[in-house]
Amino acid sequence: MSYLDYVIAAYAVFVLVLGWDFVACRLQIGRELRNARRRAARQASHPASAGPAPRQDPDTQSPSELNR
Amino acid sequence: MIAVLPGLPGAARALMLRDLRLLWRRRGDAFQPALFALLVVVLFALALGGEADTLARVAGAVLWLAVLLAGLLALDTLFRGDAEDGSLEQWMLAPVPLGWLVAVRTFMHWATTALPLLLATPFLAELMHLPRGQLPVLMASLALGTPLLSLLGAVVAALTVGMRRSGILVALLALPLYVPVLVFGAGSVAASAQGLDPIGALLLLGAGLVVALVLAPLAAAAAIRIALN
Amino acid sequence: MNPIVRWFHKLGSPPYFDRFAARWAPWAYGLGLLVMLWGAYGALFVVPADYQQGDSFRILYIHVPSAWMSLFVFGLMAFYAAIALVWRIKLCEILAMACAPIGAGFTLITLATGSIWGKPMWGTWWDWDPRLTTELILLFLYLGVIGLYNAIDDRRAAARAAGLLAIVGVVLLPVIRYSVVWWNSLHQGQTIRLFGESSMDPSMVQPLIWMIVGTKLWFIGALLARARGDNLRRENGKAWVAALATGKETPAR
Repeated sequence: MSYLDYVIAAYAVFVLVLGWDFVACRLQIGRELRNARRRAARQASHPASAGPAPRQDPDTQSPSELNR
Repeated sequence: MIAVLPGLPGAARALMLRDLRLLWRRRGDAFQPALFALLVVVLFALALGGEADTLARVAGAVLWLAVLLAGLLALDTLFRGDAEDGSLEQWMLAPVPLGWLVAVRTFMHWATTALPLLLATPFLAELMHLPRGQLPVLMASLALGTPLLSLLGAVVAALTVGMRRSGILVALLALPLYVPVLVFGAGSVAASAQGLDPIGALLLLGAGLVVALVLAPLAAAAAIRIALN
Repeated sequence: MNPIVRWFHKLGSPPYFDRFAARWAPWAYGLGLLVMLWGAYGALFVVPADYQQGDSFRILYIHVPSAWMSLFVFGLMAFYAAIALVWRIKLCEILAMACAPIGAGFTLITLATGSIWGKPMWGTWWDWDPRLTTELILLFLYLGVIGLYNAIDDRRAAARAAGLLAIVGVVLLPVIRYSVVWWNSLHQGQTIRLFGESSMDPSMVQPLIWMIVGTKLWFIGALLARARGDNLRRENGKAWVAALATGKETPAR
């Protein structure tokens, strides 16, 4: 019995899964940047409806759920 | 005039009375988990062929699964009613710890859904031709296992309490957590069938129950706060 | 203030983290890839075939590092989740949730390679042995965390809920493992599966070490990349993201 097929299959699975993870990640980053670009373009072409200034991020120090 | 705060026993009694009253108004609902377990047993018997020997060999496992799955479906009613009418938010504001209220509620839920199941089990065991000698072990493992399943299920139900379409997600989240309980529960019955002493598995279930009694309400309380904040 | 503490605080700022991740992820990816290639070369061509299992033994060099990673990432995910729940640090929420798909990938590889390795060894594609069964349950735990994170709309509440689930999972994982081992011994007797755990000749260990290091480096790269993506998604309405996307500033791409 040739073990070669099994070894190739195993290494192929490894490469495929990690490769898919890499590609999916790149696609997500690309998608998010594209969304941001479209949003910026929309706000640039409709200055009246630009809405409030980009929201600030208050990192509140409220008590955590585990400590209450 | 200073109002007296209820304290832990008072809050527990109030919650239990409320749950009993609500249960009384919908008494028929208490039988639904038991009916579901009966259906599961029927389906297994039909799928396996109905022969006494075949059924007897898998009876312990099938009965455990029937109880587990019935409990899983009943989990939906643990917090949903309180979440929908706003009681859950009142609990978060109560002077007693949220974990205590969760523990009391889980106990009442277990008493109203799992106890009927336990009472129905000897009857279901007869349907599955469970050997008589295994019945005490089965009942003991279920008595220890079902509260444990309710406590673990409470954590999962609390995590998904805000969601409208949780459905299969609750099962997907709960089943990996249920695995040790199922293994030791059904395994104790299998061990007694093989002539081994089931006491080890039962003690492990008991130990797990004690730990879960303390930790699960805390985790569920944290999950409720996350979901409703 | 201590420079390290200051650096941690800086990392918590989304634009700084984005630049940091964009800069270092490719390095981690690249280094990890190189180390893994070196390890795979050693595993495939340098190491002699096992006298018992023949060439299929080479699958160990993929299976074992992936199994260790699947467990390590789950623990790391719970660690980040604990920090996120106690101190409400947004970055730790993002890091915890980024761990989940990567860990699930490694778990999938472990299951698949275990199954592929098992076929010539045991004759079946699947065997309910304790290790594979625990890995399968681990996969369900990962999928549960991912599913819960995607099911809740508010990203922060979703990350905290899924993080709590990860913590519950990591506490229960040893219990699950012990219960499955007990179950296996109950139903199948004390059969010992020779899965290469027997003492390995030192010459055969080297590629394994390279693969372990390589997968860790790759994981760092993947974690940074996924965290960057989640970060961008959460901050999508903000000015710095718009500037980055339209190239007005000069971001470190």
